[in-house]
This record gives sequence, C-alpha cells and structure tokens, in this order.
Amino acid sequence: MRLFEVEALTVGITGSPFPILREVSFYVEPGEVLALVGESGSGKTMTALAAMGLLPFGIEMTGGDVRLGGDSLVRTGGTVERSAAQMSMIFQHPTSALNPTMRVGHQVGRVIQINQRLGRTQSLEAAVELLKHVGIPGAKRVARNFPHQLSGGMCQRVMIAMAVACQPRLLIADEPTTALDVTVQAQIFDLIKSLVSEIGCGVLFITHDLGAVAEMADRVAVMYGGQVMEESPVRDLLAEPRHPYTRYLLESVVREVDHRVEDIGVDFALTGCRFGHRCPYVHEKCNGFPPLVEISPSRRVSCFLKTEELR
Amino acid sequence: MTGEGIADPGELPPARFVVDRVHVTEEKSRTRRALSFMRSNPLFSIGLGLLIAFVGMAIIGPFLVGDPLLTNPAGMFSPPSADHWFGTDEYGRDVFARSVNAARLDLSIGLAIALVAMTIGSTIGVVSGYFGGRTDEIIMRLTDILLAFPGFVLALIIVAALAESLLNVVMAVAAAYVPYFIRLTRAQALVEREKEYVDAARLAGNRPLRVAFRHVMPNSLGPALVSATLVTGWAVLTVAGLAFLSVGIQPPTAEWGVMVGEGAGDIITGEWWTSLFPGGMIVLAVMAFHFIGDDLTESRT
Amino acid sequence: MRRVGTSLLTVFGIVVVVFFIVRVLPGDAAAVRAGPYANQEMIDRIADKYGLNDPIHVQFADYVGGVAKGDLGVSIRTSQGVTGELLDRLPASLELAAYAVVLATVVGVSLGILAAARLGTWVDHLARVFAVIGSSMALFWLGLLLTFFFAFQLGWFPGPVGRLPIGSEDPRTFTGFYTIDGFLSGRPEIALEAFRYLALPVITLAFVLAAPILKMVRSAMIEALDSDFVRTAKAVGVPRRQILFVDGFRNALIPVTTTIGIVFGFMLGGNILVEFLFSWPGIGRYAFDAITTRDLEALQGFVVLVGVMYVALNMVIDIAYALIDPRIRIGSGTAK
Repeated sequence: MRLFEVEALTVGITGSPFPILREVSFYVEPGEVLALVGESGSGKTMTALAAMGLLPFGIEMTGGDVRLGGDSLVRTGGTVERSAAQMSMIFQHPTSALNPTMRVGHQVGRVIQINQRLGRTQSLEAAVELLKHVGIPGAKRVARNFPHQLSGGMCQRVMIAMAVACQPRLLIADEPTTALDVTVQAQIFDLIKSLVSEIGCGVLFITHDLGAVAEMADRVAVMYGGQVMEESPVRDLLAEPRHPYTRYLLESVVREVDHRVEDIGVDFALTGCRFGHRCPYVHEKCNGFPPLVEISPSRRVSCFLKTEELR
Repeated sequence: MTGEGIADPGELPPARFVVDRVHVTEEKSRTRRALSFMRSNPLFSIGLGLLIAFVGMAIIGPFLVGDPLLTNPAGMFSPPSADHWFGTDEYGRDVFARSVNAARLDLSIGLAIALVAMTIGSTIGVVSGYFGGRTDEIIMRLTDILLAFPGFVLALIIVAALAESLLNVVMAVAAAYVPYFIRLTRAQALVEREKEYVDAARLAGNRPLRVAFRHVMPNSLGPALVSATLVTGWAVLTVAGLAFLSVGIQPPTAEWGVMVGEGAGDIITGEWWTSLFPGGMIVLAVMAFHFIGDDLTESRT
Repeated sequence: MRRVGTSLLTVFGIVVVVFFIVRVLPGDAAAVRAGPYANQEMIDRIADKYGLNDPIHVQFADYVGGVAKGDLGVSIRTSQGVTGELLDRLPASLELAAYAVVLATVVGVSLGILAAARLGTWVDHLARVFAVIGSSMALFWLGLLLTFFFAFQLGWFPGPVGRLPIGSEDPRTFTGFYTIDGFLSGRPEIALEAFRYLALPVITLAFVLAAPILKMVRSAMIEALDSDFVRTAKAVGVPRRQILFVDGFRNALIPVTTTIGIVFGFMLGGNILVEFLFSWPGIGRYAFDAITTRDLEALQGFVVLVGVMYVALNMVIDIAYALIDPRIRIGSGTAK
C-alpha cells in the first residue's frame, strides 16, 4: 500500500473558476523519496500546502483526494485534517520560519512536548539532545538563542529538528536549501537522508534543482503551471524523458539553453494543457486536458503525444 | 549545471505556430458588476453613500429648510414632530434647519482644514525628505515638539490665542495636523528620491528646489491624499469639540458642536433632541469619512 | 542616555513654543488681574510686580529658570502657585485616565484578537464597525448621551457632579486615587462611591480609546498569523489556541504597545472635554478655565506639564519595546 497519495487534486482561488492546481496526482511509496520538480510558480509549494491543510485564506481545495496510508485526509467541505504525527513540513526561508520572540530550544521543546507528551523539563532536555543530533555544535548554548542570532544553516537544522520531533510518517521538505549557501546544502541533504532512514518516513522533496533531484530522490514528479506533466523513477526520467516539458527542462540544464525568452507566462484560464503555449508539438487536441496516463509500470505522463502518437 | 546521470534529451524541433486556445470565459453586466463591487466593499459603499448624502445636504439643504437663526420663543422646546423633524430648542429655533445648515459649515471647515494642513505639511515634508541633512533634522525636531502636544490641546490654545474668526479656527486646527502630513510625505519623499527619474531631473540641470517640487512632490503625495479623507473627519470632530466649549465658533452660529453645547444643559430637564441630533450628525459624517479613508488605506498596503 | 538628552531638548522646545504662543493671547494680562475697577496706575503697578513690562527675553529667562526648579509661576486668576494647583488636580485626571486606558485595552485587545481569529465572519465585521464608530465618536456627545440615559433616565449612575457626591468628605490622601484611598483610609464606602462616579466618564473615554487599539491588535494579529513562523507552528502540530496567543499575540505586541502610547497621548488632550462635561476636578478642567480667563501662567504650566508627561511616556514605551522584542534587546550574530 502506498504511503502517501494525492489524486486529482484541484485547488483554486475562492470565487474564481480558474484552478491554480489542476488534477494533480502522484504517490510516495513507504521509505521512498519523491521529488516534486518545477520552475517557480509551477504550483509545487501550493500542492504541499494543500496536502498539509495549510492553504492560505482565500485559496481552497475544490476537488480530489489526499491519502495517507490508504486513509483519506479530506473532510467534508474540502478541508484537510492532518496531525503532525502524520505529516510535518520544513520550509524555504528558515530564519523567518521560526518565531522571533521565542528561544529556539523552547521552540523545539514545545514540539516535543506536544507530540511526544513529555513534561516541560524533559522536553527541553530532549530538545537539546535533538539539536545535537541534527548537527548543531554547542547545542546547550544555542538552545538559549533566538532565531535572529543564528545563521541560515543553523535555523534550517532547528526547523528540521522540529519537523522530525513530530515523528511523522511523511516529511515534506519545501526547497530547504534554496536560501542557503551551496556549501551548507550538501550537509543539509546528508542530514535529511540520515534522519529519514532513522525514522523510516517517506519524503516529499520539493525543488527546482535537478542536481538535488539526482542526489536525493528515488522517484520524481514534474510540474508546470499547476499540472503534473510526468511522474517516473529518477533514472528513467533523466535517461529518457517522455514529456516535452521534461525535455525542455533537461535541455536548459544540460545544454544551458535559455528557454526563458519564449516564456509568456501561464494562462490559468485555458481549458487544455498548460504547456501548450510553449510546446513544439502542440495540436488541436491539446485544448482538452490531457489525463495522467500510465505508459509503463511506474511511469505516468500527461500528454496526448505519448498516448496517441501525434507527430 | 550538469549533475551525474542526467542524459542529453536530444534535439527538440523548433516551436511551431501556436494554435487557437480555448478559454473559460465569464461575462458580467454593468449593474451586476456594480452590485458585486458594493458587496465586496460594503463599508466603502456605505461611506460613499453617506458622504454623498451629506454633501447634498450641505449644498442644497440650506435652500430647502427654514432659517436657522429664526427664533420663536412661543414654540420653544417642542419635541420632534411633523412640523419640526428634530424639534425646537430653547429659543424656538428649528433644530433640523440648524443641523442642515451646520452641515455646510462643518463640512467645508473640515475640508478646508485638511487641505491647508496637507498643503503646508506636504511641502515641508518633501523639503525635509528630499534635502535631508541638517534641514531634515531641524524640521524633524520641530515636528517632534509639535507632536508632543495632544492635537486638541494645541488647537485649543492657538484658537484661544487668536481673535475669534473662522479663518483662525481653520489655521489653528490645521496646525495640529500639519506634523502628521509632514511625517507622511517625508517618508514617501525618502523613497522617491532614490528613484531614477530624480537623477534624470538632476542631471538635466534643474535647480534642487525645482527637482523637489516639480518632480518629487507630485509622486510623494499618494499617502497624503488618502489620509486627507481621514483628516477631514478628524478636523470636523476637533472643530465641533472646540465649538462645544464655545471656543472658535460661538452661538448663535449653527454648527453641530455649538448646538450640542447649547443643548447640553437641556438634557437635565429631559429635552434630549436639542443635543442628540446634531451630535448624531457629527458621528455619521465622521463615520462616512472613516469608512472611505480606511478602505483606501487598506487597499494601498 | 542619549535619549534622555534629546527628550530634555524636546521639553525645552515645548517650553519655548508655549511661551511664545501664549504671549500672543489678546487682552492685557495685568488689566485682567487688576480687575474691572482699576485705573491705569494700578494696572502698571501690577504689571511691574509680575514683570510683565520687562523685555520678552528677560521674562523668558525668568520663566525657564523657574521651570528648572519646578516652579511654574503663579496663577493670575487664583494667585496660587501653578505647580501646586496642577499637582493637586493631577491625581483626579490620572485616576480617570488609568481606568479608561485599562478598560479600553481589555476591550480593544480581546475584540481585536477575536476579530483576527474569526477573520471574515460576522464577528470580524461587527468588530470593525465598532472600531469605526469608536473613532468617529464625538466624546462630548457620547458623554451627554450616556449621562442622559444612564444617569437621568435610568438612575444607575450619578449625574456629572464630579468625583464624589456633593458634600462628601474626601478620603485621606495616600495615592490620590479615591478608589484606592477609600480602602486605605478605612472607609470602603467612599471607594465604592468613587467607582460609581467614575463609571460614566470612564466608559465614555474607553469607548473612543478602544477603537484604535482594536484596529491595531486586529491588523497586527492578522499579519502575525499570516507569517511564515505561524505556518511552521501549524506544520509541526502546535494547537490552534496556543498559536493564537503565543505565536500570534506575542508578535503583535510591538505595534500594540505603540498604539497604547498614542492612546495615552490622545488622552492628555481628550481629557479637557470629558473633565468639562463631568465636572471632573482634573488638570484638563484647570486648563480650560485658564484659557477662558486668559490665565497665561496657568496655561503655560499646564502645557509644560503635559509635554513633560508625554516625553516621559515615550521613554517608558521605548523601554517596553526592548523588553518585548528580543531582536531589539540582543544584537544578532552570536552563534554561527
């Protein structure tokens, strides 16, 4: 049974008929890392927020399902109910993601107290231990600091500690290293990998960096304009991309071809495939929304090209 | 950057012409759009409605109602009735007529005050923000000192110091709001002066003062204009408060604050209408300005 | 330390400004003091006695010297020391102000948090309307209305005759607050009476003061609740109630403190209206009397006092900032 699955998730602005996320589907197997890849604005973060039940005011889920361990998390009315022991998340800008008026030790301790039901003092001690465990030197001293006194890398470790303290079944990491130095990136990746194998949770790893995908992920889902274009094991995708957009993406990375000039932005009012305006194979048929179709046991593509052999 | 294991995707054909794409469309009629605007901005709409009503009252009202100064001792203290919608006061004057006339006076004074304060304050603020340095420091110090006085007290003192005249009332109360506008435009000027068009103007050879007033100032007025609505409301409130104390505007002038002041003693003997109605109008008028002004400030941020 | 310096400079500036504004008051001060039956010679003598004929800079120097020593001159109207008169009346104003601010803060903060927590619902809209009405409210009108309704019609509260029923004896002075002194001097019934007399003016003031507090709390809470760190707290399982108060409110405190400061500032002036209306023997009333009788000295003294209080208030607020926000208290970059 799949650990985590999103099926036909549709999200839009309240009161507007144009969806921001359209029929988004992907899954995570137990113990596996799925990378969610796309340019900025492709809807990757929004997907994660929707799954976590953290959509901002004015944006709502209008269709689809989110399942953890086979059980749906969606309640009547389109809201997601999720506990931290089910899924937790780390975010992109670590320093601003922590409460500026609370010492970091207390912030981690609070999570432990709530999720592991320990007493106040025990939680604080456990927090220091956890900070040590995520690789913060001098954890006892650091625990008494406020977030603005720490570097970005340290703050990210603190946030990871908090997310891990929930002992979640699925950890969502939203571009955890984008705002950090390249040197720190590798350390954070290693940290996440080791923690994940320790706890045995699945990971939804959101990034726009294909190099990180190659390093961290087992499987990958590619998004553009709120639509999932392709979902496949990493090796297969990199070796043999099936969706035109994936090929575009790889071409920009490998050959450093600048495709930006042709980009006129995503039009959410379109009825059909969101990549249509940039796609070299675009066809009349593309005015209809291409469903995610399985083209081989673990690969799915959302494009009429592969299913109907358009030329 | 090339990562390991990322294969070459192969040649992609050049992009072809894009085909006609289908849109999800939605049309709305004029009235429906107006109604939906009102529904999503209820407070603004109410404020606008109230304001229009008051402005209408101020402009044509005095021509339609009776004489605000006409006394009629025989008919004094009659409660609201069909003849006198708001009743009569201790001199037999029609409260409604007086209130409507007062609308014209109060609103125009309030507006005048806001405009004067904005003009003076913005000028000083732009100078302070654009030129910076010692000028800025001195002006800021002076502004701080002025701000140390609660606005009402400052206006009270100045009005009391000068001769009783409408002009003086306007100047005195405006003085209380000038620092507010100075701060506002100065902040905006600080932002504006870093922009490119300012450099362009300077390089074109314009004298500094000209750059300041011809170029920076018009662009710094945004927040000030929005605040002007709120300040008009506050000004009406302040003037009425002063008039209530018989400072600045005196009886028998028909002014809302004056009327409340005159009617204050009446409530002991139960004649509530002489002070309730004029006071109520003050609140409604100021509320109108607030609804509009708050909405405008919120939509800017 | 530098702040103390700039504050003193501000106070000095206040004194200068007041001095010169007040001298512009029409009416010959000496003539007023001499009374309506005096002749020119008597007026001149009085003018001499009070130094009104000295050149302006001498008068100013004298005044400043006096202020530095705490002497604010002598009231033209009552011939008493201004400093003494002001200090006599200060507790009355402070008692009124204190209760009003407390009530306004309690109401404003709770409604503000409620509105932010229930954003977009009828609770929120109601709170916003309340805020607008409060900020548009004419203090004097509201006071009249409340007095008419609750004092005269319903008789729940006494009429506007001051702090205590006419003819009652003041309690022994400990703090100057009748509500406290009543208990301290062993006459609790006086304290209770004082509460009854405080009720209407306090409610009137609090109604108007609560509005800006409510607005600020609401918007600060909304901003805090919208922030990244609240999102993190939700992501790691912190319960709603805790998020609201601990993460939300603690971070909203700074702008809220600013507003409370502004509110206090407003009150130093708004008090003239309320004190006048309710016959409250405070400094506001004193100032009004001074203005109408052209009592220069008293008026100057009042403004100086208010200015000083305002400056002191700002300093207190700055200290409060440092206590609340660790970013101000502690610099950044301790650990790397």
